[in-house]
Amino acid sequence: MHDPTHAGWLLAAALAACLAGMGWLALGMDVHARQAWGRALSPAEARSLRLPGWLALVAGLGLCLGADHPSMAALVWVMALAVSALSVAFVLAWQARWLGVLAPWVRRAR
Amino acid sequence: MRQGESIVFQSFRQAMAWLHTWFGLVLGFVLMAAFFFGALSVFDREIDRWAIPSSRFEPQPMPSFEKVLRPAFERMQPLPASIEAMRPRVDGPMPAHYDSIAYWSAYTTHRDPVLALYAGYQVPGAKNPEELLLAEATIDPRDGRVLPNDQLKIGSGFFYPLHYSLTLDWKNLGFWIVGFSALVMLAALVSGVVMHRKLFRELFTFRPGKARLRSVLDLHNLTGVVALPFHFFFAFTGLVIFASTYYFPIGHTQLHELHELHEKHEAQELGLPHGRAGVPAGLANVDAMVAQAQRRWEARGMAGDVGFLVLQHVGDANGYVSVYRAGTDRIALVGQGVHFKASTGQLLREDPPTTAVGRVSEFLTGLHLQHFRHWLLRWLYVFGGLAGCACIATGLVFFVEKRKRQHARQGSQGARVVDALAVATVAGMGVAVLCMLVANRLLPEALPARGDWERHAFWGAWLLSLLHAAWRSGPVARGLPNPAWREQAWAIAVLAPLAVLLNWITTGDHLLRTLGAGYWPVAGLDLALLVVAVIAAASARRLGRRAGACSRDAAEDVEAAHA
Repeated sequence: MHDPTHAGWLLAAALAACLAGMGWLALGMDVHARQAWGRALSPAEARSLRLPGWLALVAGLGLCLGADHPSMAALVWVMALAVSALSVAFVLAWQARWLGVLAPWVRRAR
Repeated sequence: MRQGESIVFQSFRQAMAWLHTWFGLVLGFVLMAAFFFGALSVFDREIDRWAIPSSRFEPQPMPSFEKVLRPAFERMQPLPASIEAMRPRVDGPMPAHYDSIAYWSAYTTHRDPVLALYAGYQVPGAKNPEELLLAEATIDPRDGRVLPNDQLKIGSGFFYPLHYSLTLDWKNLGFWIVGFSALVMLAALVSGVVMHRKLFRELFTFRPGKARLRSVLDLHNLTGVVALPFHFFFAFTGLVIFASTYYFPIGHTQLHELHELHEKHEAQELGLPHGRAGVPAGLANVDAMVAQAQRRWEARGMAGDVGFLVLQHVGDANGYVSVYRAGTDRIALVGQGVHFKASTGQLLREDPPTTAVGRVSEFLTGLHLQHFRHWLLRWLYVFGGLAGCACIATGLVFFVEKRKRQHARQGSQGARVVDALAVATVAGMGVAVLCMLVANRLLPEALPARGDWERHAFWGAWLLSLLHAAWRSGPVARGLPNPAWREQAWAIAVLAPLAVLLNWITTGDHLLRTLGAGYWPVAGLDLALLVVAVIAAASARRLGRRAGACSRDAAEDVEAAHA
């Protein structure tokens, strides 16, 4: 809060982390993996997406706490999760393949 | 045994569905207004800047009392209208000049360029000696110049009251309706979660390509679930604020005597005088008291600006000055009041840190009333409010879509009526707001009661939108969409850029200029209006294509029936 630019970068990073986290969590779900890559993932592949998903959401909270007073950080984080989840849902609805960018190591179905 | 349980659970689920459907329908219209105007109220001060061009300058800190506030306060007197209103409640004539000052106060936030001043005067011979004659003024804090106070602050003076009371002031009816709706909102959230079940499994599910019924329900669930904490906490904290202010003010009604006694005890405990001593006294340097209060905040590790300055019993030996901190850096609405004896400047009291319960309550009210300085969180709140609007709107559309074919077969008008009301609530509200902004830019500056004309433009446009929706609702009775949805979306797509254009023509503040100068209150609203126009136009086109497809289907049905 002392340095506005610094806080701004932290918040931008927090938003990015939440967005990526929600994206990975979605890709770790069978339905959405099919939308993004046209195939179902193996249980191991799905786990390898869900874990970073949760970690990114926690990292988002950490970044929010770095930027603001804890009472404010909690609200920013909860709302950032909401925006991220809605954005991921919209990407899946209209341009599902774009979400695959988050996990370039997963191969598409041929 | 399992069988029995599942039947109980099934009927529980059905009861929840019934509750969700019917309470949601009846109060959805009110909730829509509460969410929409709540979302606008997040930027109420910025909307004020847009609507009152003479106040378009940077926010100012609380000015010096001695240089700016004192002369402004001394010039203040109640308006003739409020003097007339009080006359019947006073024995004897009204005084020519009001100089028994109960309080002077000044309030500002980090978003206010202009400063609001308030004063309360004791009237000799008042039947209820507690009743004060109130006065209000707006000044430019840079030089103390009095600004005209009769221009409607569209954001904080109209959209904000609409948000919490629908501006139905008669017997506080609006508060009760909005509060009851908030209670129903909580019930609707719980019942919605019970009905939906697949909260996490379908968290990211939106299938716009599927049948209309399905995609509308997807959007309803999606906007409801992702912002569930927001919806819950805002309905809940809204109720908390209402409960303490309006619903249980027993201290002021049933328990008046006790309340009075309690106030006296409290005053004694705090060391702050409750009433006037009746002995005239001077006023020490208030700026020195403010400076001392700021030093004390700094010593507590919370340096800050003054948000609220109050002088009680001005000119009396019992007079005291309270300095409150502006709550910009945390959620809780904390005042950290520091109080001084007015005649000497001696410190009377420094409010101690609140208890744990007090902190929770401050957090809850602060969360809703948002005095903090955090632009990202403000926008996130707007997002939450609009997600709530989308959730309610899709709920209403789903209600109609689910029933309209059946109603068409039975010859019932139910779906048609609900659909017309939904058009007026969803699209009509946008049309009404935009008409008000357009009227604000078109009405002559010096028009008497200009604010009333702006209000008329708002309500008139809303009424027209309802009439239009009802007039065009015929197709719904045949199971087809109401063209009013599309037409009012086009109206929004035209009115929004028109407001931006009129702002440019009448004030010279076009986007390049406001963006170049970094004046976000006006630039932000203009940009938001343009985004609204794009979304409205896209929706209108989409609705148009869908309507085309629907009427082709219907035509094919008719042909098939003839064949």
